[in-house]
Amino acid sequence: MPAYAVRRLWQFFPTLLGVVLLVFALFNWVGGDPAYLLAGKISNPEQIENIRRQLGVDQPYAVQLWIFVKQIAGADFGASWATNEKVSEIIATRLGPSLTVLVPLLVISTILAMAAAMLVTYLRGSLTDRAIMIGCTVGQSVSILVYIIVAQYVLAYQFGWFPVQGWGNNLAENLLRYSALPVIVGVIVSLAPDIRLYRSFFLEEINQDYVRTARSKGLSETRVMWVHVLRNAAIPIVTNVMIQLPGMLVGAFLIERFFSIPGIGREVILAVERSDFPVLKAVTIYVAIVTMIVNLAADLLYKAIDPRVELE
Amino acid sequence: MLRARRFAALALLALVLPLASEGADLDKTLRVTFPTAETGFDPVKVSDVYSGQVIDAIFDPLLTYDYLARPARLVPNVAETLPLVADDGRTYTLKIRQGIYFAADPVFKGVKRELTAGDYAYSIKRFLDPRNRSPYAFLFEGKIVGLDELAAQAKKTRRFDYDAKAAGLEVPDRYTLRIRLRRPDFNFSHMLAFPLVGAVAREAIEAYGDDTNSHPVGTGPYLLKRYARSSKIVLEANPDYRGKIWDFAPGDDPLDVEIAARMKGRKLPAIGTVEISVMDETQSRWLAFQRAETDIEYQLVEVAPTFMTEDGRLRPEFERRGIRLDRSVDPEITYTFFNMQEKIGDQPNPLAGFSKERIALRRAIAMAYKIDDQIRIIRKGQAMRAQFPIPPGVAGHDPRYRSSIPYDPQLANALLDKFQYKRGPDGYRMLPGGKPLVIRYWSMPTERDRQFDELFKRSLDSIGVRLEIHKDRFAELNKLGHECRLMMRAAAWIADYPDGDNFMQLLYGPNTGQTNSACYRSPEFDRLYENSRSMPDSAERNRLYRQMARLMEVHTVWILADSRYRNVLLQPHVVGYRKHPVLFSEWLYIDLDPGSRK
Repeated sequence: MPAYAVRRLWQFFPTLLGVVLLVFALFNWVGGDPAYLLAGKISNPEQIENIRRQLGVDQPYAVQLWIFVKQIAGADFGASWATNEKVSEIIATRLGPSLTVLVPLLVISTILAMAAAMLVTYLRGSLTDRAIMIGCTVGQSVSILVYIIVAQYVLAYQFGWFPVQGWGNNLAENLLRYSALPVIVGVIVSLAPDIRLYRSFFLEEINQDYVRTARSKGLSETRVMWVHVLRNAAIPIVTNVMIQLPGMLVGAFLIERFFSIPGIGREVILAVERSDFPVLKAVTIYVAIVTMIVNLAADLLYKAIDPRVELE
Repeated sequence: MLRARRFAALALLALVLPLASEGADLDKTLRVTFPTAETGFDPVKVSDVYSGQVIDAIFDPLLTYDYLARPARLVPNVAETLPLVADDGRTYTLKIRQGIYFAADPVFKGVKRELTAGDYAYSIKRFLDPRNRSPYAFLFEGKIVGLDELAAQAKKTRRFDYDAKAAGLEVPDRYTLRIRLRRPDFNFSHMLAFPLVGAVAREAIEAYGDDTNSHPVGTGPYLLKRYARSSKIVLEANPDYRGKIWDFAPGDDPLDVEIAARMKGRKLPAIGTVEISVMDETQSRWLAFQRAETDIEYQLVEVAPTFMTEDGRLRPEFERRGIRLDRSVDPEITYTFFNMQEKIGDQPNPLAGFSKERIALRRAIAMAYKIDDQIRIIRKGQAMRAQFPIPPGVAGHDPRYRSSIPYDPQLANALLDKFQYKRGPDGYRMLPGGKPLVIRYWSMPTERDRQFDELFKRSLDSIGVRLEIHKDRFAELNKLGHECRLMMRAAAWIADYPDGDNFMQLLYGPNTGQTNSACYRSPEFDRLYENSRSMPDSAERNRLYRQMARLMEVHTVWILADSRYRNVLLQPHVVGYRKHPVLFSEWLYIDLDPGSRK
């Protein structure tokens, strides 16, 4: 396994190089000239040129690319063009609020989805199964925006069970008070597709020979489902969960915007609006790196879950 | 004699000290929102209105505006009087009041730091320091004798020499600032009242280096207590603030009279804490306001019909709850410009020039454009038709002036027929020579701009003119505008200072490539504008402005559209609020009356 991990780590470099080239090309040819945003209402060509010089966007592309590579190597993307705040500080301070919402959201939705999927698998073909599946299909076809707007209006504004929006100063307050409604909304939104997906994983396993063998040995249905079926269905579930992990780095921008959570998703939207390329470049590169690491971790986890898996 | 002076000084101190310490009630917290995140609080480095609101509360410009007077009227702030203007508008001399101190900050090492004239000279120089790339450099660029030379030198050496003297920025003594201008400018006082032209302390700027955006140190009524970027900004009354007394004369407006009666004599600032939350979404701000989680809501255009009647009043159910609406017209205009250059890139421009058929085409488009639909549908009724290029509340505005370009598609069609813009087999008109006529209109890929696209398309279809819509992002459109490469685009301009010059310069020929996006070069207009620039606000200058407006209509350079209303919602306990057309924030002048809470 260590040899496999080392080999995969080496593969990171060409992948990252591809990402760097793609990001660089996108920002330079599609991104537009930020000097015209930063110059303000009244500016002359000299001021525009001065801004371009200070940002370094007047340099030849090769020089700009080299600077970008050095930034990645040094994990220092400089400062935001819009606010002058260090990019590292932006990511460090905004990641916490995003994770405060997204970690509980992912944990709760995964557990609930697995439990519900197992239940409907167990009751497959029954009225409950069909009702839940219809509910999931309907739920999945509704935009997240509708969930947010309705939940904010009904649960927060009308019933007053939660604050309409906001963010506090300490983790406990944020987790228990301000994150509660965003987490509930997030869980509701992700439950429908997850239940459907996990149900299909469980259904695939429940018809396998080893399940019939386990039943014929007289094992209880609970043990069959929770030990044998779950263990074998875990690999695609782990894959699904792992796929969602890099997304935590870019936050849940709609939830963050509506509930005024100072997370990284909101910051990314702001950076897009302001053509704040240092922030966007940093987030894109970090997401790429985290995706690669998570993929490797998922592969290693497969082996841990099922020793029959061969890592080649 | 000496004893008498000491006595007078002590008496003055006794008057001032209680103001500074007793004014603000720290138990009073004003909760407001920003719909977009701020960028920072270094006055020379920002241009967004939200950062400006905080800067307005922390820093002190030399002059300010009377809170109630409309049009906005200059009054001294830290200056003892309005500037002494001499040499035909070329020399401005100001005396700064003694005994004004910066808010305590670690950079001052426990010593009280007095505000001096040198601080203003330093602060003005910072606008032209290339390292600061100030969006408001234009306030002083090309104006003060010797200052541009310092900036040019800084571009070469990569370092602005703040110790070098600029001949036009003199500090003859600790409290006197003399500014000499390159040419007469009777509007220069407005630059000194601009909220971003507050004094900074050089030692604070140097100590905080690249992080001045999050360490504002000023002499204003508030200081930055807590700051979570893009999320929460908490301001607290500055204990070192000199204090003010609410004393503004109301005009004829009954609401002003009521406010004056209620507020007169109150010590300012009255509110101890201002808590600002950044809420991006309208629904969040609207629900938070309705749940009384916020005290003032500045702009809720999208949901305006929910709380307002069609005639612009608050709906009775909100009135019953004691909520109040402060409605004013923003000092802005929106317009659509036609590119006046003969060629755009290497392509001929069918809208360009001063020939009769080209003017007829522009006039026909202007006459076909449904401004009323723009106000009714896109603005949701929250705008008023603009008749004059200078909006209400700005010196030079003429409320009696009426545009000579009416909405009249029938006449527009007749005009195009007369000038041989004949219809082709597809129903669209062609150029007089028979070549295809296509108008390229530029906008951004946003929902709001899509509404404008549709309205323009419908309007031009009504006169058989083919419209092609091109999309690009804001920065790119700015760039194309600077290069005179946009054939037609909608734009807006809000007053930087409340003087007509700030609007008329949008059509001045030499400003092509900067603010004159139409790239309009009319020797006659330029001559009138140059004449107007050498005059103070007067009937004579207003006459020139009217001539310029008519000339713009004769040439039909713009379709002048509307000025938007600003609807500010107030909780019942907010007292003394009036939206000021120029000041960024009114927090200094208002109070919270707990007795009015419902």
